[in-house]
Amino acid sequence: MGEPVLRVQDIHKAFGRHKVLRGVDFSVSPGTLVGVVGENGAGKSTLLKILAGELRPSRGQIFRRGALGYCPQQVVLNTALTVNQHLDYFRAAYDQPDLRYAEALIERLNYQQYRAAVVSTLSGGTQQKLNLTLALMHQPTVLLLDEPYQGFDWETYLRFWDLTSELREQGCAVVIISHLFFEQKRFDVLYHLEHGRLALPQAAAEREGVVR
Amino acid sequence: MRKAFSLRLLTATRYALFEQARNRFALGLLVAFVPVWYYLFGLIVPSDSLAFKFWATGTLLQVNGQDLTYITAGLNAMTLIVGFMFFASTHTGILFDRRLVLSGYPQTILILAKLLALGSVTALISLYASLVLWLFWHPGHPISLPLIWLGFWAAALIYGSFGVLLGVLLTNELAGFFLVIMLSLIDTGLQNPLGNPVGNQPSLKAFPSFGAMQLDVAGGFTTAVPWGDLWLSLAWWGGFAMLGLLIFWWRTRARSVRALPLVPPGGSAHLVGLSQEAGSR
Repeated sequence: MGEPVLRVQDIHKAFGRHKVLRGVDFSVSPGTLVGVVGENGAGKSTLLKILAGELRPSRGQIFRRGALGYCPQQVVLNTALTVNQHLDYFRAAYDQPDLRYAEALIERLNYQQYRAAVVSTLSGGTQQKLNLTLALMHQPTVLLLDEPYQGFDWETYLRFWDLTSELREQGCAVVIISHLFFEQKRFDVLYHLEHGRLALPQAAAEREGVVR
Repeated sequence: MRKAFSLRLLTATRYALFEQARNRFALGLLVAFVPVWYYLFGLIVPSDSLAFKFWATGTLLQVNGQDLTYITAGLNAMTLIVGFMFFASTHTGILFDRRLVLSGYPQTILILAKLLALGSVTALISLYASLVLWLFWHPGHPISLPLIWLGFWAAALIYGSFGVLLGVLLTNELAGFFLVIMLSLIDTGLQNPLGNPVGNQPSLKAFPSFGAMQLDVAGGFTTAVPWGDLWLSLAWWGGFAMLGLLIFWWRTRARSVRALPLVPPGGSAHLVGLSQEAGSR
């Protein structure tokens, strides 16, 4: 593993008196798939929003190398625009010369027939596919995914994992958060967010004989 | 660099305009509500003479009450529709705009695009409202139509930017619509002295549509051009727009911790913090 492309140091976050994060530290190297799991309200989305720059931490620092891809938990799209118009808009945002990779992603996630459709007419699952495509279409160095497969059917769920494995092999550092992971073996490192801190990584815990 | 700026500005403006064009409900209101509003006011209000204070010259004009009310009807219909359009698009689009910013879209370009869309959409809508007015009333001198259009445009700009301000401030959709309706009804209604005890009073100068009404009256009943009222309207527009876009900037900005570079092995590349990264790939 190379030098980390994402380094998180002592992140704290409080909303009023309610302390959500109490010192989160971790690093992610290129080609690593990291999972963060925790109960509802544990602060997973808050952590990812801070990593993405959506929220300011109360304390702590974040370092990152390369382009960021961020897929928020709630679908964030413009319901008045079509799929193609979204791609064009984000091509300008990412300053991309063309849409070849985005088009490949659409084929991969199998919703090419909806490219001219207005987002408000799409199903929840297809909207989620577009939500994910917008996070991936510039081939980011660091990818942050918040419950990315909500609304996916089984086939799309499997395609999502194939795609994630490919991204990892290509050197992308992927962080996925969820309240539940069925397939923990897919992750290189799996953290548990408890009481505002990341508990020992699952892999390390197993190596050290820690029983959870 | 300049090419990227132009391309991004063109893209953001195009989609801001496209979004407004997709607001079928507002377009339906424009087509149906504006002429019906003129027609109803024409039906209800008699042609009796009314005294209207034209502040640019300080004279009390004797005007046809029905004709004056056509102006009020146009201002009222337009400010309602434009306020609603820009409130709705800003309110529903703010999270999307923030995602664009987090993905590298410069906030200044998104703000410029919003201003361009506001300027062009309101220019077109006010031209439409002026032309429909022409079906009901011909004031008669050559600069009437341009001046009435200018007054309508000024009012539309003010209420469009008011809609933007409410869109970034309020989380409750109903509250936004209610505020647009209330302000428009009170503001445009009070400017007309028809059955209004505070009509022609200096206190009306403190309302947003005062300048627009004066411009429209100048177009309808005089040959004067009240430049001061145009500047006053532009000041209202500028105030609402600046406040709204400032809050937009605040709400869509990329928040981050302080950045410190890290040096990778042998690396020409370096780690950068989120704040430096937000604007570029």
